[in-house]
Amino acid sequence: MNVIETLGLGKRYRDTWALRDCTLSIPEGHMAALVGPNGAGKSTLVNILAGLAVPTTGTVAVLGGRPAGSPAALDGIAYMAQDAPVYKNLSAADMVHITGNLNRLFDEPYAKRRLAELDIPPGKKAGRLSGGQQAQLALTLALARRPRLLILDEPLAALDPLARRDFLATVMVAMADDGVSVLLSSHALAELERVADYLVVLRGGEPRVAGQADDLLTGHRVLTGPAAEADAIAARASVVQDKRAASGFASRSASGSASQAHLLVRVGADDPVPPGWEAHPVTLEELALAYLRAPADPNPQDQLHPERIEASR
Amino acid sequence: MTVISLPERPGTSADRLPPLPWRRMAWVTWRQHRSTLIAVPALFGAAAVFLLIAGLKIHHDYAALAACHPSGSSACQALNGSFNSSDWPMANAVDILMQLAPALIGAFAGAPVLARELETGTFRYAWTQGIGRERWITAKLALLGVVLAAVAGAFSQLFAWFFDPVIQQQQPGLTVLSATVFDARGVSFAAWTLTAFAIGAFCGLLLRRTVPAMAVGLGSYVALDLLAWLVLRPRYPVGGFWPKQLVEGGWLLSLSVLLIVATVRLSRKRAA
Amino acid sequence: MVIDKENNGAGGDGTPIEFRLDGSSGVPTYLQLVQQVEHALRLGYLKPGDQLPKVRDVVAGLAINPNTVLKAYKELETKGLAAGRPGQGTFVTAALGQVALPELAGLRRNLHRWLASAEEAGLDEDGIVALFTSVLRDHFRRDGRDNRGAGAGDGSEGVA
Repeated sequence: MNVIETLGLGKRYRDTWALRDCTLSIPEGHMAALVGPNGAGKSTLVNILAGLAVPTTGTVAVLGGRPAGSPAALDGIAYMAQDAPVYKNLSAADMVHITGNLNRLFDEPYAKRRLAELDIPPGKKAGRLSGGQQAQLALTLALARRPRLLILDEPLAALDPLARRDFLATVMVAMADDGVSVLLSSHALAELERVADYLVVLRGGEPRVAGQADDLLTGHRVLTGPAAEADAIAARASVVQDKRAASGFASRSASGSASQAHLLVRVGADDPVPPGWEAHPVTLEELALAYLRAPADPNPQDQLHPERIEASR
Repeated sequence: MTVISLPERPGTSADRLPPLPWRRMAWVTWRQHRSTLIAVPALFGAAAVFLLIAGLKIHHDYAALAACHPSGSSACQALNGSFNSSDWPMANAVDILMQLAPALIGAFAGAPVLARELETGTFRYAWTQGIGRERWITAKLALLGVVLAAVAGAFSQLFAWFFDPVIQQQQPGLTVLSATVFDARGVSFAAWTLTAFAIGAFCGLLLRRTVPAMAVGLGSYVALDLLAWLVLRPRYPVGGFWPKQLVEGGWLLSLSVLLIVATVRLSRKRAA
Repeated sequence: MVIDKENNGAGGDGTPIEFRLDGSSGVPTYLQLVQQVEHALRLGYLKPGDQLPKVRDVVAGLAINPNTVLKAYKELETKGLAAGRPGQGTFVTAALGQVALPELAGLRRNLHRWLASAEEAGLDEDGIVALFTSVLRDHFRRDGRDNRGAGAGDGSEGVA
């Protein structure tokens, strides 16, 4: 089952396309990181998935074909918006009770136990809790709904390192215990490297790359070798990022030594390393940064659907 | 940090869960809008105590005036003079306040209902719960609207009793059909309160901010009131107090329902 | 003074090891877990029959994706070092084969000879490391034993 399935999704605000040509199919059981700079369209996509915004073009289905925003979709999706909005003048216990009364499925004992574990005083007004506690309260309310898909929009931005870790640990345990799928948007990837096993990179409103972390990591390499041969390599492989020493366009630098090039390329599992070149594995962060910096790909469909290329071989 | 286990997920599929009962939505409405739901009845209650005490005096004064014979005597003239100089201005002042009440309810209770959620971002929480945005907004507006209209309706019955001697004393040009009197009795006052609330809520969603919504809501309400007074009411196809009340109550109720439906429909487009 | 013993981390009841992660090593998380189990087997912390930490406990302690832990355990199963028992967890099934001491000594002697010749050719210590690392990588890639390529689970197996 795909928890998220979009086809040609687009959203226009007046004259600006906040999201366009967004085609994704994210299978269940993953923690998908949705990364991109501010204004890349992350919140727009997340709002559409949560049923808060209506797309201008394209189709969107969640949880195996339920229309986003439909009652069936809302029953199975818990959404925690940016800045963890809670009613500031209501107590944590009130928030639990209110959420319980607005959902057909709600695990109130779990919510109460977790608040106790987190040392969040049930009677204290939510507005007086620390940023970390508010985030944990919002997360507790979301998890107590026992969702199939948990959508978190920039949940870590306002948290200190310890609170981030606790927050992520809670999400990861919910994945282990309940099999909940997670979509987490963030503009900082470094801390997601350990938790995300699916990556969607969004830039300028368009997905640049999307796929399971393992597939992306095995499907990409950094090739390091003489800059003089870089063009020949680039002609045969699909280069995501091309870094050459400043003198790279002359075959020899002033001192006569060969200048170096690093090419981040997409490779098949059995592609040989060109003679004289060294291949290094990439990290998820490196990969995401490369796609965020890369010029628009002439053939983005290949990147988005590596399986399609496999199938056509 | 200890992380608590989630127990087994209940086996029922979400599609087969029963719909949320009104009782639970009513509880959340009460918890969220407790200040409105306490303040409005409390203010009306305090005003009712005043009306009761002042009403007893007016009724007493009017009874004495009506029983006075012969009416041309100086004693009766004195009673009449005292009624006109103390009872009538007080009743008139209360009547003017009655005109303001629905407008204030619309501004302070209606406008913030959705505007505050949009202003603070809590709509992202409220509108993504399992109940669904449309059902939740409908339930909340309906529950608040009905409670406010009921309280206002009950109060206007007390006002009608309080104001009766003034009508019977036949102040020049003042009848139950006079603009300010007609508004404040029968079913009209409850209907105007409901309409003011619906206008406020609609403006709140449209403008997404509380203070501008209060201002625009207030302006729209006054404009509608003037329209009803100057244009619509003289054209009602029926005569007599109650037929006219029913016509006015009818179109105001329809307008309120229409506004609430429009608010719910619009909420789908204006979020995020 | 009593020092609070951290017993709710990545270890948990009934297992003799506790995982830790090195964020700066560049080694993928699942591989770090695999290597730590292998290390513990070599050093005798783990013996056949011992239980590995429960997936959930590792996840809670390290704040990592459960699929990563599942992948590490699957890798250990593929290597024949561990086996999952339904509803109970994953248990060590084999000791890690060690190279006999005389053979090890011979290999050491060979390596010393090679290092001497490298030095003679003008390589310093860092140069030797760079060359060795490069050849090592080439060698194992040719043999199809590149760790990253091997056992790349699709992560679709359910959470027990």
